[in-house]
Amino acid sequence: MVRTCDIMAVALARLIRNGDTVFHGVSSHLPMVAVLLAKATHAPDAVYLNIPGGTDPERPVLQRFTSAGTGLWDSACAGFPLMEVFDLSMRGGLDVAFLSGVQFDSRGNVNASVIGDYRRPKVRLPGGAGSAVLIPTAKRAVIWRTKHDRRTFTDKVDFVTAKGNVSDIVTPLCCFTMYEGELILKSIHPGVTIDKVAENTAFPLRYFDIVETPPPNAEEEAALRRIDPLDLRNLEFL
Amino acid sequence: MEKLCTLSEAVSRIRDGMTVGLGGNTLNRAPMAAVFELIRQGKRNLRLVKTAGAMDIDALCLAGCAASVDAGFISYETEYGLAQRYRRSVQQGLVQANEHACYTVISALRAASYGIPFMPVRGLKTSDLRAVNDYFADVTDPFTGEKLAAVRAIRPDVSIVHAQVADARGNARFDGPKYEDVLLSRASATVIVTAERIVGESFFAGEREKADIPHFLVSAVVHAPHGASPGACPGCYEPDGEAVRAFLQLPDAGALACWLERGRCGW
Repeated sequence: MVRTCDIMAVALARLIRNGDTVFHGVSSHLPMVAVLLAKATHAPDAVYLNIPGGTDPERPVLQRFTSAGTGLWDSACAGFPLMEVFDLSMRGGLDVAFLSGVQFDSRGNVNASVIGDYRRPKVRLPGGAGSAVLIPTAKRAVIWRTKHDRRTFTDKVDFVTAKGNVSDIVTPLCCFTMYEGELILKSIHPGVTIDKVAENTAFPLRYFDIVETPPPNAEEEAALRRIDPLDLRNLEFL
Repeated sequence: MEKLCTLSEAVSRIRDGMTVGLGGNTLNRAPMAAVFELIRQGKRNLRLVKTAGAMDIDALCLAGCAASVDAGFISYETEYGLAQRYRRSVQQGLVQANEHACYTVISALRAASYGIPFMPVRGLKTSDLRAVNDYFADVTDPFTGEKLAAVRAIRPDVSIVHAQVADARGNARFDGPKYEDVLLSRASATVIVTAERIVGESFFAGEREKADIPHFLVSAVVHAPHGASPGACPGCYEPDGEAVRAFLQLPDAGALACWLERGRCGW
């Protein structure tokens, strides 16, 4: 049985193309592993950008408490700090930004801000971090979320923290991709049924055909063990 | 003027209601010793500025020191969960959350550092954040007519940064990731530096890697070993997980005061 964190890591990694400039931010252990996996397999020339500013760390030391720490800096080839990653995206040079949130709808609107009134919220969420400027300006904004239920994949988000170039969403159940302005189901993870995805999604599912997300191959499995020996890709599931 | 002083002296210069920029990122090199001293001194109505905060913002909210938080993201990262004290304070209406994209904090600080009143920003105009916050507005490019969002400058009255190395005049260097600390120092009216190590006056003169913050921007320097603890300081120490977890269990401001009194982390 394939673990959810492993299928999500490979699904995220495969969205990176060789040569892409790629960024993730804080609280992003799964994308951190996915970027390193992509660079170790099909996308060795992807350019890894991150908050501490360590461009393409050669021997990254993955840290449990942060995905924005010195472990991504110490073996980097060049300094390119967060503010310059944003600048790069603003001028059209960022290919992939990994972001998350708490609510998503079928049009790719993302809420990471509040449930309820903005000034006196029922729930104050952590905030969208870079989303409000990166989702509209990065060429492809890739969303991951480790929870897939009807409150998360909702008919209408409570607040639009960001919208724009969401290209894909990877969840514990499936992969969505954006097609003509609407999310469509791209693949379902091994062992998950279409009924289960439908039950846990508040908007109607649209798809052309139902395919299974390919599980990690031998090369990816070996790379995952090597890159992430502490199994930080599973942190969000503990 | 002698800038090298105690933590208590440096922090006593910060007055209630001031806008305070905080260096570091989440649990990475945040100026925690100074944050705890702000709490000990019972500061009120601070207007906090940070791109991505965690325990610093959470502690100042728990202690009732904060009036508002301008930030892109406030949460511990995955291991230690959400910043519950910040959340609760905002949900109860005690603290105003001024949500930014991290980049709009950067742009607002850049505007202050460039001496201009606002900064145009791409992307933001499609976010509900643009509509609900009065520190964002629409601007038109006077040359092309293009419509953009803009963010008002943020000029902190003071920023507090924690460095690995500083000298007594205030020259300070960040070894490893610099986050937004250098920009904060340029955008703020003045800077308080806390440092793991205070070096002699000619130290930076003999180094190829110069100080990131020059002395003339700095008004106070404090020798604060473990000044980012219980968070991490690159090259010096990792987070003290036990202390972070102990902090997260503190029920209220009184318990926090007792916890600080016991000096769990040695400041």
